[in-house]
Parts: sequence; C-alpha cells; structure tokens
Amino acid sequence: MASKHTIATRHAQGIRARFASRFLRSLLRVRRSSNRFGGSQSNDEGIGKRIRTDRIKIAAYAAMARAVGPRRTWSRALLFKLRNRARIHGVSRKRCLVSEKKRVTRNKVVAISREPSRADTLRKLVPGGDSMDTCVLLEETAHYIKCLATQVTVMQSIADRLLL
Amino acid sequence: MQPCSREMQGINSLLNPSSQIPLQDLQNQQIQNSHFDPNSSSNDDFLEQMLSAIPPSCSWPDLKSPWDLSMPINSNGNGNSAAKPRDLPDETDNTNVGFHNNFDESVILASKLRQHQISGGGSGAAAAAAKMMLHPQFLMASARGGLPQNDVIDVSSFKGGDGSIQELFNGFGAGSMNGTGQASSQSMQHFNHPQGGAMPAQNFGAQVAATTALMNQPQPSGSNGGAPAQPRQRVRARRGQATDPHSIAERLRRERIAERMKALQELVPNANKADKASMLDEIIDYVKFLQLQVKVLSMSRLGGGAAAVAPLVADMSSEAGGDCIQAGAKGGSLARPSNGSQTARTNDSSLTVTEHQVAKLMEEDMGSAMQYLQGKGLCLMPISLATAISTATCHSRSPAINNHHHPLLQPNGEGPTSPSMSVLTVQSATMGNVGGDGGAAKDAASVSKP
Repeated sequence: MASKHTIATRHAQGIRARFASRFLRSLLRVRRSSNRFGGSQSNDEGIGKRIRTDRIKIAAYAAMARAVGPRRTWSRALLFKLRNRARIHGVSRKRCLVSEKKRVTRNKVVAISREPSRADTLRKLVPGGDSMDTCVLLEETAHYIKCLATQVTVMQSIADRLLL
Repeated sequence: MQPCSREMQGINSLLNPSSQIPLQDLQNQQIQNSHFDPNSSSNDDFLEQMLSAIPPSCSWPDLKSPWDLSMPINSNGNGNSAAKPRDLPDETDNTNVGFHNNFDESVILASKLRQHQISGGGSGAAAAAAKMMLHPQFLMASARGGLPQNDVIDVSSFKGGDGSIQELFNGFGAGSMNGTGQASSQSMQHFNHPQGGAMPAQNFGAQVAATTALMNQPQPSGSNGGAPAQPRQRVRARRGQATDPHSIAERLRRERIAERMKALQELVPNANKADKASMLDEIIDYVKFLQLQVKVLSMSRLGGGAAAVAPLVADMSSEAGGDCIQAGAKGGSLARPSNGSQTARTNDSSLTVTEHQVAKLMEEDMGSAMQYLQGKGLCLMPISLATAISTATCHSRSPAINNHHHPLLQPNGEGPTSPSMSVLTVQSATMGNVGGDGGAAKDAASVSKP
C-alpha cells in the first residue's frame, strides 16, 4: 500500500498541472462563447441551452477526464457521455432527450428489482460504473476520488485568484 | 488383477529393507511402537490386530510400482511442496516429497486396493495389513504436511472385515467428496496419535477429539456404493479453509476487495470505520460531497451565480463604471471569471459597481441593500473587523491581488490556502474615486465574501 500511495502522490502533481491548464483554457472558451451570445441570453434560455454554471461544470469534468486520459474506465466513460451530450445538444434537443434516456438505460446493467446495495449506489456515482465488477469498481472509485479532490482544489484556487 | 499386483509390489518394496531405508526404519519403529493411545477408541484394537498379523514379507509384489513412480517425481515434488506449509525433516525429505506429490498415484492405489478388497482377492487380514503398512508412510508424509489426506484415509481407514472396511472406506469417501481437507487432517491426526508421537504431528494438534468422533462413525455414512475419490489434484489448504477451487477463487476475490478498501480508506477522510459496509457508506458520501463541491464551485465562484440567485441581466464586466444595475437586479456577475490580464480591472470595476449599487440601495432601504448584498454572496461589516480579518488572511492571498485601491492588503506571494475568504476593504477614499456618488455611505463599508 505504501508504494501505491507514493505513486498516487506523484501522479497527483502531474494531474493537477494538466487539469489546471485544460480547465483554464475551457473556462476561457466558455466565457468567450457566453460573451458572443450576450450575457442575458445564455442565462435566460430554457431547457435547451445549458446555463453557464452547468457549462462550467461540464467543462471542469471534461478537462479532468481529458487530463486523466483514456487509461481509466471512468474517464473513458465520462468522455463518451460528454461527447454524446455535446452531439445531442448540437443536433436536436427534444428528440434526442428521449433517445438519450433510452441510450442510458440500455447501457445500464439489467438489475432484478432489489434494494440498491451500496455497490450499486457507488456505481451510479462513478461514471461508467455500471459495467464494472466490485473489485474494479473500488479501484476506479479510488482514482476518481483522487481526481475529484484535485479538481476541487484547483477550481477553488482559481476562483480565489480570480475574485481577488 | 494386474494393476493391483503393481500396487502390491509397491508396498512390498517398502517392506523390503533394500528400498527406502529411512521409511523402513520408521515403519519398523512404528511397528515396534505398539503403545497406542488408550483414548483412541476402537481403532487401537484394529491396529493391534493388524500389526500382529503382519507377515514380515508380504506377498505384495504388485504394490511396487506406485512407489517407484513416486520416487522420480522428487524434482517435481519440490516445486509443489514449496507451496505447502510444513517443515520437512531432512532425511526423509526426498521420499516424503515423492509421497506428497503422488496424489494421483495414491488415489489410484487407494481405489485399487479397495476394489481388490471388495473383490475379496486377498485375505482380510493381509489386505488390512497392507493398508496398515500404507498409512504409516502416508502418515509420515502427511505429518510433514503435504499429502491430500482424503484418499489416503480411505485406504487406511479400513477396519476388520471386508464389509466394515468397505463401508468405512465409503464413509470416508463420502466425507472426502465434500472436498474439505479438515476431515482428512483430523483423521490423519487420529492415526498419528496412536503411533506414539513418533510422527511429528505438527499441523494436527488440536483435532484429536474431532477425529475420534469421525472415526467412531463406521457405518452410517456409507452412502456411496462404489464411488471412490476422484483422482484429481487436491491442494492442501491451511487449517480452517476449504480446498476446492471455488472457495479459493472466492478467497482471492475477497482479499483483493479488502486490499482496495484499504487503499480507499487512505483517501477518504474520517475513514476509521472498521466495518466494510459503513466504510462504503463513507466513500459514497464523500464522492457525493466532492461532486457537490464541484457543482457549487462552478456556480458561485466561476459561473453566473448561485442557484438561488436570479441570473444577472447585464454583463458587469463590459459595463465598467456605469450604472448597469436595473432595479431589483441581483446577480453574481461579480464572480464572473475574467482573463488573467483583466483580472484587476474587472474586479475593480465590478466591485465599484457593486459599491455603487449598495450605496444607492442603502439610501432607500437597508433591507433591500442587505438583500442585494446577500444575493451577491457579500456581507457588510465594520472596518475594524475587516481589517483584522484581512491582516489575518492576507498572507494567504496571492500576489494577483495587486490592488492599489486596497492598501491594507499586502500580497505576500503565497498561494491561497483553504480559507476561502476574500476580504476587500473599501476606504472612504475610494468613494471619491468612483465619483458622482454623493449619497455614498459615510462610514466605510467592507465588503467581504464568505
């Protein structure tokens, strides 16, 4: 376990830098796009357009997933989901909302109706967790938690710097 | 009868002093060591019977080959036996190793002997004696800790006449069908004991009672009529653990999961739960918390404002210094992210605009001013407190806070730490900078973000 921990910390430095750069770039992109559409519009639209907060959140997750790379199951699943979402929202909103639901349910493991165990709850939280068995799920959860923590610290530091 | 004859030869070779001498010595020793443990019940009589009835040279030429086969397997045996937990005495190493790994041969031997017995080929005493001869060797081998005892016990548990022997064998066969090494080890233990401790009974110390119980059920378990133990590979497992591949796989899986849980425990704070279920709950809560934190951060700090706040009408940064606030507008435009180069300017302008608005609102109604501030996530506090806080936290602010409007703040060049408070002290002098704000509050207000 000690060796695993040291490897994790070494990874954290790299991940943090990569995620920070990607996230800042995506933030700029979001800002530019919102400026283009005008401040009022981006916040007033209904279901179709994502409001800015969600855009930023998505940008953060996308940046994190890309920084991690396709090595991890959850990052691959996350990128796939985001790409589908982008494609869907680009094409047509109403029709594709329904199809997205279908797609999502199709991917899920068909479960007998039983009380959702803790592993199932975890599967819902971790992206791409449906198709993993418990052992792999725990490993992915560990990496996911680590990346989420770095994401939060980077975002917090960015926010602090920006506000002051 | 050919295969049986082979087995007879094998046993004969044991009996012959020319072959495996240490074994022979032990065997003789055991024969001479006829003090049996009085606690071991009916088998003592059986053993005594058998021992007395043993002719010094049995006509068991057939039993030679399995043992001969076992000898060349010594090299293989070393590799296999390394996995087993035991300590080998040196002089019997080779032979025992050979015995240890002679799983299939012993099984075949056992089955063939039993069949021989069933067919009534030999005298009952002689057959039983042969088995008696067999199991000291096996006992020795197993005491070193390697043999799969299931099949061996079948052989060595034969008692008395043919019928009882067969049934006992069947009983043990049935027991061994279950695939646990425990029964076998227990029975081995029992056989070890009557030998007077000549065998190092290392692994079987505490199982005598169970063994006696097991041995004392001669007949009722004779359910399988003719199914001997299958000649398949059996791994000798540790005490209290099963041997079939399913449980081994299960054990591996459980160990891997436990490993991962320990790694997770280090990541998640407050992870002192010993229970796996509560640990999982903690993990789930922590993941949810982190995701919520990302959401909140994207909303309040970098995004368009808190969810509870109505979206801003106008872009603050683009209208620096103007009266851009519509009546009743609240929003988090103050928190809008800006380019690095424009940070100071944007913040200044947005802050001054906010000040504008607050001052204006304060003239009309303190309540609305407070609401406006709250909508922005700001609060009003006396300067003394703000000063105290700012001096306390100014070391945590980065040099990007290079704001000449706020002389109290001294950027110290350190990165922001966890307290996410940004304190901005607005001096009354800045009111003059803004200009055109006659009705501004006379006492300096400090605007601080929680």
